[in-house]
Amino acid sequence: MPNRAYHLSLLYFLVFSLLLLISSTAIFALKIGFSFESVLQYYRGNEESFISAKSYSGLLKVILPHIFAFGLFIMVVLHFLVFTKKRDTKELKYLIFISFIGGFLELFSPFGIISGYDFFVYVKIGSFFLFQIALLYALYLLLHSIVFD
Amino acid sequence: MRFTLIKDVKHDQSMKPLLNGLLIFTTLYILFDLFVKQHTLGLSVQTVSTTLFGNADEFLDPMNESVFLEFVHMQTFFLMMLLLTLSAVYIRLLHKKKNTMLVMNLLMLSGVLTPITLTLAYFYAPTLVVSYIFFFFLWHITALYMSLHSLWELNIAK
Repeated sequence: MPNRAYHLSLLYFLVFSLLLLISSTAIFALKIGFSFESVLQYYRGNEESFISAKSYSGLLKVILPHIFAFGLFIMVVLHFLVFTKKRDTKELKYLIFISFIGGFLELFSPFGIISGYDFFVYVKIGSFFLFQIALLYALYLLLHSIVFD
Repeated sequence: MRFTLIKDVKHDQSMKPLLNGLLIFTTLYILFDLFVKQHTLGLSVQTVSTTLFGNADEFLDPMNESVFLEFVHMQTFFLMMLLLTLSAVYIRLLHKKKNTMLVMNLLMLSGVLTPITLTLAYFYAPTLVVSYIFFFFLWHITALYMSLHSLWELNIAK
């Protein structure tokens, strides 16, 4: 009975996680956009479009709560995999590494963009998708484990 | 340091006050969330609709799309962590009760449907504000019941 209840709780947690990933993608698409120009404009500003450039302190205000939330979210999702057959596998180690690196780059690449390095625009877009895909894959592994193991 | 599994949390000198603290904080969060929501989004169909869609008669602007999405995003995160923690404690303390699964399903389902119905109401069907209000109160009532029941089980029940 407790196992069944924990499985149920975890299933709902997966739905919540999916909602969180969908809403973050929607916010990214609406506020920033996925093209090189739109990301550059969002952070460096554009006088013609009345978009003001982001400052270092402004960015820090946005990312500060996200640093803790990202770390907690990644840890909570991935620690459930320790209770599956994926425990002690290379796959899980890579997934942990990719998730944290993806999250780190997603959070801190905007500092590179406002410092004048265009390359970080690609890092921002790439790391966003890397982070989302890594977590979606983790959610899939958890779902698979609950349903089939 | 040695990590051991605590079998009887009800009679453990450290785990009991820890869980009591967590449950009291959870109860306070659930109660104060009602007050905060009353001042930000509203708690009735009328006030929520006015916040989301504005009111021309009162010169109130509708809520901005990105502001709305950020609100839903943040609420989903808090809700997810709160419900996961509360359900873990509840299962640990009350897994032998017959209605545990029912209460769990009620909490999680109403919790999941709260941000979903609000988003659908904002983007597609304003009438779903009624469903949002229903699920919002349902998860609050269920969560309050679960935290109070857990406190009872931890301190009073034999």
